Amino acid sequence: MSIILVNNVHYTYPGDDMESLCGVSLSIEEGSFVAVLGHNGSGKSTLAKHLNAILIPDEGSVSVCGMDTSDEQLAIEIRRNVGMVFQNPDNQIVANVVEDDVAFAPENLGVPSDEIRRRVDEALKQVGMIEMSSHAPHLLSGGQKQRVAIAGVIAMHPKIIVLDEPTAMLDPQGRKDVLNTVMRLCREEGMTVVYITHHMEECVDADRLVVMSNGSIVTEGTPREVFSQVELMEKEGLTVPETTRILYDLKQSGFSVPLDELSVEGCAEAIASAF
Amino acid sequence: MLKDVTLGQYFPGDTIIHRLDPRTKLIVVVLFIVALFQAQSWLSYAAVLAAAVICMVISHIKPKNIFNGLKPMLIVIVLTAFLNMFYTEGTPVIPGWIITWEGIDKALKMILRIVLLITGTFLLTYTTSPMSLTDGLEYLMSPLKKIKVPVHEMTMMMSMALRFIPSLIEETDRIMSAQRARGADFESGGLIKRAKALIPVLVPLFVSAFRRADDLAVAMECRCYHGGEGRTRMKVLRMSASDWIALAVSAAFLILIILMKKLWSGV
Repeated sequence: MSIILVNNVHYTYPGDDMESLCGVSLSIEEGSFVAVLGHNGSGKSTLAKHLNAILIPDEGSVSVCGMDTSDEQLAIEIRRNVGMVFQNPDNQIVANVVEDDVAFAPENLGVPSDEIRRRVDEALKQVGMIEMSSHAPHLLSGGQKQRVAIAGVIAMHPKIIVLDEPTAMLDPQGRKDVLNTVMRLCREEGMTVVYITHHMEECVDADRLVVMSNGSIVTEGTPREVFSQVELMEKEGLTVPETTRILYDLKQSGFSVPLDELSVEGCAEAIASAF
Repeated sequence: MLKDVTLGQYFPGDTIIHRLDPRTKLIVVVLFIVALFQAQSWLSYAAVLAAAVICMVISHIKPKNIFNGLKPMLIVIVLTAFLNMFYTEGTPVIPGWIITWEGIDKALKMILRIVLLITGTFLLTYTTSPMSLTDGLEYLMSPLKKIKVPVHEMTMMMSMALRFIPSLIEETDRIMSAQRARGADFESGGLIKRAKALIPVLVPLFVSAFRRADDLAVAMECRCYHGGEGRTRMKVLRMSASDWIALAVSAAFLILIILMKKLWSGV
């Protein structure tokens, strides 16, 4: 069942002449991990902000868990269901202590105190930050801060998490930690994840990959399907994973290899069997 | 150079004073200040001083920290003392001299009063984390909500400002390093030259602060922030027995000082 339905959405930022989204349609299944890939200015962040009623489409509609985002009365309920994590962890942490920050959203929702305590501990455990619960956020590393931000969102018990380039400002280790955390939330806790990024490697394990460019969706499908369209990806100025790259170059040189092997092992086997 | 910014400095600890409810501590400090201004005789000053010293000892705050905090106030203290010494009428110390015994007495008391005033408030901020302080303030000022004072918004802004001080300091350091790398000179020259050198630091700092504020506002909205209405707290402030005892002792102390003023004025 689709939990998010984006129907032919057009959006122009106030004071801009160019449409940031021109006719985007998308449906996202409950419990799936969807990666949205695109360059800066491709409209992927704008799309993300439509998913929790921060932006309202000029034209078309967005519906989340059956609720239309254009209904202002539903804004809080929609945001409770769609947690959002942004690029800069520093600018989304509101409190001086990790656990107080995680408690922020449930406090806003009017959850009773002992229930908040329970949710905060649970959320911090899920992201592996429980030992840091009484630390000051500004003393944490980028990856840790971002995991605190994720905990702050899952303490609302949302059905969906939207992450807008959560790893853009992190080092490789932090990037890995964050991606693993999100992947686990999806696979083990059954959360629907919309993961926006411009790192190809992070999309490889997604259930579905959506590629955006200039405010519209260029192609979508499983990562295998999408990455095997090497020409299209290059036309959009996006690179493909190195495994696909090798297979593509081999195919161009006349070898019969499949293009849709993304793992290193799969790629190696495909090459071995081609000779 | 920016590391020594002390705003709402807090020394974590686990003494009975640290554990008191922030509301108790706020009220106790107010009572302490009232008592201080009611003190007239040397005996009552001695009592207030003793109270401050006892609190300092219990909370394990080192006198050094208090003195460091007093340093910036030195000019004010000296100036007040001088003015009091010269402009109080009475019997001159040496006949014909402007300085009087009453003047010296008043000057010394004034010094003590300012020092104790600052010590009292420092003991509060040194033993209470900024977050619980704003929590306590919000709670104590909540009756003002009835007359439409935006108490929640004010305390929210206060705690937000405290939260962002380290981030902004970090940012300033980064901008200054970037400019130093391109040859900017912040250390040499007179006061005016140094102040001018800071302008290229302040402009990007402000721009980034506004961008941060914008991001933060969106992030808060995403986490369902919609003002103080219907908001609950994870950490509910609870008054324990020691809070009530502290309040009772402070109230008794204030009454004692007032009695001293009424009964033995002039001791």
